[in-house]
Parts: sequence; C-alpha cells; structure tokens
Amino acid sequence: MTVIDEFEEHRQDLEDLLVEVLGSLLGADEVAPGWDEPLEDTPVLASQLAIFDREDGSYTMVEIQSPLLVGRLIGSQLLGVANPSPEDLLDVIAELGNILAGNVKSLVRHSCRLSLPTADAHERPRPSAGRGVRVTASVLGSTIELTVRSAGADEPGPDVCWPGSENYDEVMETQP
Amino acid sequence: MKILIADDSKAMRMIVVRTLRQAGMAGHEILEAEDGAQALTMAGSESPDIILSDWNMPNMTGIELLKALRAQGSQIPFCFVTSEGSEEMRTIATSAGALGLIAKPFTAEQFEEILGAVVS
Repeated sequence: MTVIDEFEEHRQDLEDLLVEVLGSLLGADEVAPGWDEPLEDTPVLASQLAIFDREDGSYTMVEIQSPLLVGRLIGSQLLGVANPSPEDLLDVIAELGNILAGNVKSLVRHSCRLSLPTADAHERPRPSAGRGVRVTASVLGSTIELTVRSAGADEPGPDVCWPGSENYDEVMETQP
Repeated sequence: MKILIADDSKAMRMIVVRTLRQAGMAGHEILEAEDGAQALTMAGSESPDIILSDWNMPNMTGIELLKALRAQGSQIPFCFVTSEGSEEMRTIATSAGALGLIAKPFTAEQFEEILGAVVS
C-alpha cells in the first residue's frame, strides 16, 4: 500500500481536519464541507510542504489553496487588523499549511519528517500535479482546497526547507 | 511572569498570546523568538519563567532547543505548541523534559489543563 493509498483511506479524516482547522480559526459556523467544488478562477494564496518518509525515501506533498479574499478574512481575524500586509497574508497561509500538514503527517503510521512551509500568491489556482487526494471546505461560499499527493520527479524543489540545525538527526538520537 | 514564545510564524505567536488571555493567563510579560536559536539566546539573557515553543522551526527546532537548555542545566518549564501531535512526538517531548505538547489547532481549555500549574 502506498502512502497515497493510506491517505485515500483517510479521505474523510482529511476533510474533517480541513473543516476543523478552518473552523478553529474563523468560527465553526463560518465553515462547511466543500462538496468537492472547484476553486474559483480568482487570485489565490497557496502554501506547500513536503513529508519525507524515512522508511522508503519517498516524498508526499501537502498543498493548501485559498482564494485571496478568504485569506484576507483569515488574516484579518487572526492578526486583529483590518488590512493585513502581503507579508502577513503569506505568513498566515504558511501557518495554515503547517497546521494542516502536521495533522496530515500524524495520520500515517510510520516515521516521517515534515518540511517548513513555503507560501506564494498566484493570479489563479494552480492545478495539482501527480496522484493524490483532494478535499475541500467552504468558507462564506468560497472553496478552500487541501491536496495530499505524491511528489513529482523534480520535487521537493530547492525552495523547500527542512527544520532545525544541520545536526538535527544527531540531536534526535541523543538521550535526554 | 515572563513567557517566551518561540515560533517562526508571527500569526501563530499572536494566536498563542490571545489563547493565553482566553485561558485567563493575561498580564504576563511576553517575549517572542522566531526560531529555537533565538529562543536559546533569549533564555539566557531574559530568564523567562516558561517557554512555549513550536517544534518545526528554521535553524534550531523546538526539541533541539529543549535538549540544549537541559544540557546547560536549565530547568525552565517548557511546553511544545506544535502542529504535530503524534504519540511518538509526545513521548519524545516528555522524555526530553517538556511539560507536555499542545497540538494545533488548540483551545484555551487545553492551555489551562497543561499550563495551569505553572502559569496563573
């Protein structure tokens, strides 16, 4: 069974996770399951993380895409400001990706390592590449998308960073 | 009381401060660090009473920070506030000397439950 097969078995958990995390940030009444609707063709904020599987050396990509307007709403709510700056919006979408990917990683049984998030703004939604599981949530009528998929041949790219110092693995093996 | 919050996300540091307030733990001096390395420096210079730290951060992770503190002989109360809450990570955290691990998304009640004995 591949990692993506495992996530396919957790499809409902992934959808519940997306709704729960967004609900915790915006209020449960503002978020509903997304009925697999496509993203609107509008500017989006996107965040991406990689999960490295120590057992087989494979990478799984976790991506979140949100319409810019919804991202602004989340940023405004979290930061307590009317107009979050572009940098703040990227920080917010990166942290949203981080929370989701951390919980996604916890769904698989074996030992994996999670990257730091990257975040970008795009003129329109980017189609997801590779085999994966896509779930959606609806925030004020707009769709937010979470995709968990196999990494492509050129992924994770050079812009994906891993947490910790160069001695991270050594430190982790050190007994307290 | 000085509370040091280490997280590479400014938004998350703000959420942690807000949740502390919601948990009735307001009125404390809040210090912020953007990664474990900065938090380690501030732990020495600012003498915080407790550290709330993310796990995955650039330069130095939260677990590296905790192990470095304990290796220096510091017994500052330490709690992880992180997006990963697997049993494996909880075990690693407590074995290294953490009070516990609060997984994101979290609630004020979880803050009260885990931090209540240390933060009033």
